[in-house]
Amino acid sequence: MELTDAGLVARVLVDDDQHAYGELVRRHQSSIRGLLRQLTRGDIALADDLAQDAFIRAYKNIRSFRGEAKFSTWLYRIAYNCFREDARKRKELVGINEEQWQAEQDPQTVDAGLRHDLMHALSLLPLHERSAVLLCCQNGLSHDEAARVLEIPLGTVKTNVLRGREKLKKTLAAWAQ
Amino acid sequence: MMNEMEQDWLDKKLQEAAPYIEDDGFTARVLRQLPAPQVRFQFLRPFILVAASALASALTYVLSDGGRFIIVEMFKVTTIPTVWVVGFALASGMLVMAGGIAAAMSKSGQIQS
Repeated sequence: MELTDAGLVARVLVDDDQHAYGELVRRHQSSIRGLLRQLTRGDIALADDLAQDAFIRAYKNIRSFRGEAKFSTWLYRIAYNCFREDARKRKELVGINEEQWQAEQDPQTVDAGLRHDLMHALSLLPLHERSAVLLCCQNGLSHDEAARVLEIPLGTVKTNVLRGREKLKKTLAAWAQ
Repeated sequence: MMNEMEQDWLDKKLQEAAPYIEDDGFTARVLRQLPAPQVRFQFLRPFILVAASALASALTYVLSDGGRFIIVEMFKVTTIPTVWVVGFALASGMLVMAGGIAAAMSKSGQIQS
């Protein structure tokens, strides 16, 4: 039987079991790397460095995980903090690397033109709206969970999601018809 | 209704735009950079505890002239006046009861909050 995230965390805590932590990384790497790629506007190398940093930081601080939220929510929060610290260091966010971004996308699942427009529209959103939309609409977090990750009030998350969605809908109006 | 459909459409497209990212050695890179697990001697703890207790008992026995003080103190206890024994029993009973009441009040306060 497959162990739950909580079971794997317990193994890391009790036995310092790095294989159990490896399983946690394997389970969550895609969503964390995906979120960071979107936040860094397609800078894959930077996003992967940040994701690596986030997982190492999570391992070092795993004793502070109290199980009040889901392990994935806790990871998102660490990853978002890594991104924010890096962005603060760089002062400004890096620009979108269109070519690399397109190469990563799979044209079979969504029309490439729509995806391009969607990514472009996302990248135009202010960071607070983009983060809220990505967490809630793309990664399926509840508003409450997103508020924990972003460390902002619940009402602000709802407003940011609503505004972000409205802007995306306006930009992509032609595709929706 | 239209608004909900638009919302679903947008969420669906956003989710499709985030395909699964293959591991491609990412996990291995993370594991290589983790700090080495601490060497733990937890299994030695009970042995250390038992050994320390045995040593302390042996030292006490030797330094107290074969535990002669125990016999002396036991004799003293048997000569305590009965009123003192009753008073001591009453006092300890009340102390335990007060502790129990305080614990119950604190627990009921936690449950109510």
